[in-house]
Amino acid sequence: MWNEYSIGLAVAFLCALIGSLALTRERDDLHKLLLIDLVETASLAVIALIGTDLAEALILPGLVVGIAELLALSQIYLTKEGYQSYPVKGLNIEVMMRSPAPVIISTFLVVYGIILSGFTGGGIAGLGVVFFLMSRSFCGNFHILEMASGISWALWVAAFFVFMFLPEWWYLALMGAALGILLKVITKMSLVGAMWGEPE
Amino acid sequence: MNEIGGAPLFFLEFGDIVIYFTPFTITLFLLALVFTVFVLVSRPERQIDIAFGGDAYYAKEISLSELRFRRFMSIACGLACMGAMVTGDVFDFTLFVSLVGICNVGIVAAVKSRHVQNAAYQYGLVALAGTVPLFAAAAMVAATTGTLSMLELAKDTIQVPLAARALLVLGVMGEGMAPFYAAKAEMFRAPGAPYVIMCSLSSLLIFLRVAEVILLL
Repeated sequence: MWNEYSIGLAVAFLCALIGSLALTRERDDLHKLLLIDLVETASLAVIALIGTDLAEALILPGLVVGIAELLALSQIYLTKEGYQSYPVKGLNIEVMMRSPAPVIISTFLVVYGIILSGFTGGGIAGLGVVFFLMSRSFCGNFHILEMASGISWALWVAAFFVFMFLPEWWYLALMGAALGILLKVITKMSLVGAMWGEPE
Repeated sequence: MNEIGGAPLFFLEFGDIVIYFTPFTITLFLLALVFTVFVLVSRPERQIDIAFGGDAYYAKEISLSELRFRRFMSIACGLACMGAMVTGDVFDFTLFVSLVGICNVGIVAAVKSRHVQNAAYQYGLVALAGTVPLFAAAAMVAATTGTLSMLELAKDTIQVPLAARALLVLGVMGEGMAPFYAAKAEMFRAPGAPYVIMCSLSSLLIFLRVAEVILLL
């Protein structure tokens, strides 16, 4: 009865329960949102408990749904409370603007991410690009990044069609999907890093 | 296979994800399709305000960008509904249901009025909390039976734990709360018509479908 899976499940649901209890006491809307996000993390833990390759494939959509709802709700919160968007341009820390340290750290992260490849690698490489863009208050034209993100996504989808209809070409499809998701995550994350809010 | 919604008429296979059409799911699918087309061709209702102390009245203008956003959200909601009606995979079903939830938040929140935004925010919190039991149910089904395909789960040899079914229903209840919050903000006659109808319709459809899924499992 009480095997490892049941214990893990009990712990995850206990976490969700504690978060929900905090929610009943909280009155502030913003804090409610943060607490709900904390509760939502428990569902990712439950999915992770499957413990096979399938878990990794299922966590990704679960995470995306959670982030999408979080973004939508924070936007509604801003409109509801009538907060204006204040343009912020980078971190404005002088040491980081001048010294070569961010370049070195970013390069390391990007190279390591490309070696890892796949979704995790994309995340790490994207983090490097985000850090670089944040420290240099880079402003410019992001159409190329958006286009690269779109094209790599198309590559990813095309690779999945190859998996479905031409299974004998699986190696090509695997490489295409890995490259596509790597590029897509890098560009998407760097877009996030560059979005400091533009003056309207 | 115990046939709740009638015998499957045909199957559409995407790898191991099989979409199947029974008379029951086809009916729900067509309903969602018809209402999506209605939303596509309909124009927004313009609220009439009467000027106090005179004969005059004026109609509220709805800007083109606001109209586009509401229409887009309603159509996306319709598409998500259609997906949830015919899918034959438990995790896909939960994903489509949470997508319906996000679209409903968008439909309600498109009205730029403070009390409507408040209702949309509260509903969003409920929908976000609803994804926890929803995904937990799908994960528990996969972990205990080793498959997510409804056709496999419908066989009598596989037993799905009661907790997973209960969590699935709980999650769908959380996502399907939209009409309550829309009614709370008095949206059905007032701002947001006729797109708000997608809130009610999608909630009704996901409740009908989850009943079938639960009986099937």
